[in-house]
Amino acid sequence: MKSCKIIVVLMVGLALSWGLFLSTAAAKPIKIGILGPMSFTQGEGHWNGATMAAEEVNAAGGILVGKEKRKIELVKVDTNEFLSIPDATNAAEMAVRRHKVDFLMGGFRTEAVLVMQDIAMEAKKVFIGCGAAHPQLCTRVLDDYDTYKYWFRLTPINSSYLGKVDFILLGTVGHIIKTQLGVEKVKVAIVAEKAAWADPIVAAAQKVIPEKMGMEVAGVWRPSPVATDCSAELSAIQRAGAHIVFTTFSSSVGLTFAKQMGELKVPAAPVGINVESQKTGFWEATNGAGNYVLTINTYAPVAISDTTIPFVTEYRKRFGETPNYTAGTHDAIKLLQVAIEKAGSIDSDKVVAELEKIDYTGAAGRVVFDKSHDVTWGPQYVTSIGTQWQDGEIQCVWPYNWEGVTYEGSKPYQLPPWVVEYWKK
Amino acid sequence: MRMVVAYIRRVFKILRAEVLVLPSRVAVLVFIAAVLALPLVTQDYYILRIMILTSIFAILAASWDLLSGFTGQMNFGHALFFGVAAYVTALLNLRLGLPPYFSIPLGAMGAVLAGLIIGIPCLRLKGSYLALTTLAFPIILMGLVFAFPGITGGELGLSGLKKLTGSRVADYYVTNVLMLVLGGIMWKITDSNTGIILHAIREDEVAARAAGINTTRYKLLAFCLSGFFAGIAGGLYAHFMRLAGPSTLEVGLSFQVIIWSVFGGMVSIYGPIAGVFILNPFMEVLRIFLDNFPSLPEMRMFIFAALVLLTLRFMPEGLIPWLRDKVESECPRCKVRNVFFRRSCRICNAEMT
Amino acid sequence: MLVDILIDGLIKGSVYALLAIGFSLVLGVARIINIAHTALYMTSAYLIYVGTKIMGLPAILCMVTAIFLTILLGLLIYNFFIRPIQEHEAAMLISTIAVGMMLQEVFLMIFGGHYLGVEPLIGGYATIMGVRVTNQHLLALGLAIIVLVSVRFFLMKTRTGLAIRSTANDREVANLMGMNVTGVAFVTMAVSVGLASIAGAIVVPLVTVEPTMWMHPLIMMLAIVVLGGLGSIEGSFVGAYILGFAESLVVFLLPNGSFLKDAVALTIMILVLLVRPEGLFGVSFEEER
Repeated sequence: MKSCKIIVVLMVGLALSWGLFLSTAAAKPIKIGILGPMSFTQGEGHWNGATMAAEEVNAAGGILVGKEKRKIELVKVDTNEFLSIPDATNAAEMAVRRHKVDFLMGGFRTEAVLVMQDIAMEAKKVFIGCGAAHPQLCTRVLDDYDTYKYWFRLTPINSSYLGKVDFILLGTVGHIIKTQLGVEKVKVAIVAEKAAWADPIVAAAQKVIPEKMGMEVAGVWRPSPVATDCSAELSAIQRAGAHIVFTTFSSSVGLTFAKQMGELKVPAAPVGINVESQKTGFWEATNGAGNYVLTINTYAPVAISDTTIPFVTEYRKRFGETPNYTAGTHDAIKLLQVAIEKAGSIDSDKVVAELEKIDYTGAAGRVVFDKSHDVTWGPQYVTSIGTQWQDGEIQCVWPYNWEGVTYEGSKPYQLPPWVVEYWKK
Repeated sequence: MRMVVAYIRRVFKILRAEVLVLPSRVAVLVFIAAVLALPLVTQDYYILRIMILTSIFAILAASWDLLSGFTGQMNFGHALFFGVAAYVTALLNLRLGLPPYFSIPLGAMGAVLAGLIIGIPCLRLKGSYLALTTLAFPIILMGLVFAFPGITGGELGLSGLKKLTGSRVADYYVTNVLMLVLGGIMWKITDSNTGIILHAIREDEVAARAAGINTTRYKLLAFCLSGFFAGIAGGLYAHFMRLAGPSTLEVGLSFQVIIWSVFGGMVSIYGPIAGVFILNPFMEVLRIFLDNFPSLPEMRMFIFAALVLLTLRFMPEGLIPWLRDKVESECPRCKVRNVFFRRSCRICNAEMT
Repeated sequence: MLVDILIDGLIKGSVYALLAIGFSLVLGVARIINIAHTALYMTSAYLIYVGTKIMGLPAILCMVTAIFLTILLGLLIYNFFIRPIQEHEAAMLISTIAVGMMLQEVFLMIFGGHYLGVEPLIGGYATIMGVRVTNQHLLALGLAIIVLVSVRFFLMKTRTGLAIRSTANDREVANLMGMNVTGVAFVTMAVSVGLASIAGAIVVPLVTVEPTMWMHPLIMMLAIVVLGGLGSIEGSFVGAYILGFAESLVVFLLPNGSFLKDAVALTIMILVLLVRPEGLFGVSFEEER
């Protein structure tokens, strides 16, 4: 009889300790490493977007993994990638090996992301990219699926889609100039920073503009991505008699160019990609000379989906600026939550399987990943938007009746008044 | 068997008579042993990564010292060798599928070629002119990198190279053993006749020429040798990171190399190596330390710069020579080094002052 | 197009000249390659930004204060970190690099990597022969000329100038003649940093204020000084215009390759050095031993 009692006590004790073990395991948070150059706007975007999402998820109790709710713990990983690539990789390796993060997101400079991607893949950690646009990051998934399947790109849309949106914006503005100013042959100056990601856009522009869009190319200029003076380019553009400046900038040259163009009131409308002009600080940095700059963008206070306006308003309230595409970490965490809850596990392979099937509508639109784990672009999917600076405010001006899409809160496009004045007959 | 015992005895004898008597030699021995033993203690990927990069940069810094320290040809653009070798290695590996043990030496030969190309115009220049001209070359090359994205990959660089070896520990041994071997070779070069001639050129080129030395040839030789070793570092870097990008040509890297070398102590080969082995891991220690204070802004680089500034303020010869002078002194008669507490010289018994 | 190249090159050259003259001066007299020169220029820019945008003070007041504070900072750095190790060329060089990096990191810590802008002293633009030029650029052009003339006057007509020149010529003999070489070095340093901060005040509204803004001017400045001949003020002036014209030529003749302007400018520098190893206006020193 006595031995029976002992066995019972032992059993209970074992069960209790097992339960205790399980509960401590459940209380263990899910660690997400946020990779970004934290001293720079891009990294701040990564971190701010992620903190907001993590707080929202944790306030609701956390992510449901199987039967347990687990909170999110963010790990801030300062990659310093603008100044040093080895530094970026060291930081990423530290996050994976020391902090033992379960997931990674962020990254900006492609050269650094390529290496950090390798580190994440070697450790079999899911890495959701929010910052680098180059297609090569995703073609790696197609080329070597087993190694690179843990990589997904959420923001921005890849550079070939960016090119498509780019031409739609160009066409829209070209049409406005034609009709409003009565210009018959619209001349376009192509100005693109000298970078590999911009090359296909430039090549396409030289072909598409004269052949398909009925406009004329006034010239192609390729300044350095970090040029600190563009007055020669601007003076040449003026001589060429361009009506539109078709810009492709991701680096600081975009700011220099827009500022000098505004100061000199060059009679041409800037259209295209100018990442600098997505930042709220752009207005201050150009002393208002960046007025009327039109760029592709990711977020604006318009109803891309139900969650966009609340997200953008809350973000502006907390951080004093409009989120740009690196704040896509917000959507990334929400997306990850859905995938983890469906998979019922944080096991990378299971989460990857769920992410591949995901259909989630976030603040930037409806996210579906394609075969190369890249975010799908198109009407009804993520479209990205066109925003213009109008007297100190970022306004969404596109999509405006495009394929039946107009986001609520959009404004019509405005030509710079000096352009109207100069060309109006 | 007897032979082996005798041999071991001789090694011990040398060890006792020549190595253990001087703290600096003991330090070198301990350093080599520590480098070789590290993976036995930890196999942490993060620590190994840091040490691999450290050893690669140590080769680079030592190669700078070979050119700029010993020959006095101040090179402000050392990243050129590193970058050229990284790109050549990457191209050979990606386009021709050459394995690392072929692509890295061939990449280094590319750097030698670069050394020849920039060495020839630079031969006429002296001092600051040379320093500032060499600074220009990597920037010009950077322009070319962007001009031909089809070959160089533009701002993305060339990625997807073969891994250096299969595992991190093997990577560690390859890079660190190479660092020790190449460091030894460089040290030997500086100790050879050629090294003495290079030294003479630095001290007084006119006098060297008057002594019948073809200084031009030796200066060019220094450019090529330095380029070769820097090139090995560049090739290793490309294969370890699996990427050769424009960051390998940045002005920042060139500056970094000079900082490491001068901090450690120029004209010694071991000084720059020590400089890298102190400063590079120090940055990571700072990273781990500052991780505990997330509210502080990123200040690692600031601390780094301040440390360098203060060190040079009080030890303008560099850290290692300063330390060495503290623990060793030179015999006034026979110029042999002695440990600081000896009253008389260990060789000639002269009184130490 | 010729007019465009001329005007654009002239403007660019004058901005570069403003930066290069001070650097050249301190290199000639004190034999210091002061890498931190443009970092001090950046300091003056940030000070003006703080004064005008954050504290809302009038622009002129901010500029004067910024110039004085920068000179003070420059002298402090010189006194505590450069002068004591003057005998060790390499250490001195690294120290100036370290100072530059420290300033960069300080601004990165305080302001982050954000791109900031300073209002120009005079806004608007003028049209010269069909080419639009901002008034601030014209101001830079005018100031570069004024600065050059006054520096020349200072060097040629004043006693201090004579002292500076003779020290530059032969430090040891000047010392033997009973001149206060250290004092001369201090004055030169002050003038040099002053020129950097004046350049900061004038050039800053034309560029973006950010923590790495000192790198590009640094490289151009080094190229100009080498091209013109180390330590020669006229050389720096001419060199600045040569590189300025070279840059705008590249943009106009090779629009597709305008990113190559730096590379072309530096190539020109190297080509000149191949022909004249001492630069355009440089004096071929007797081998210094």
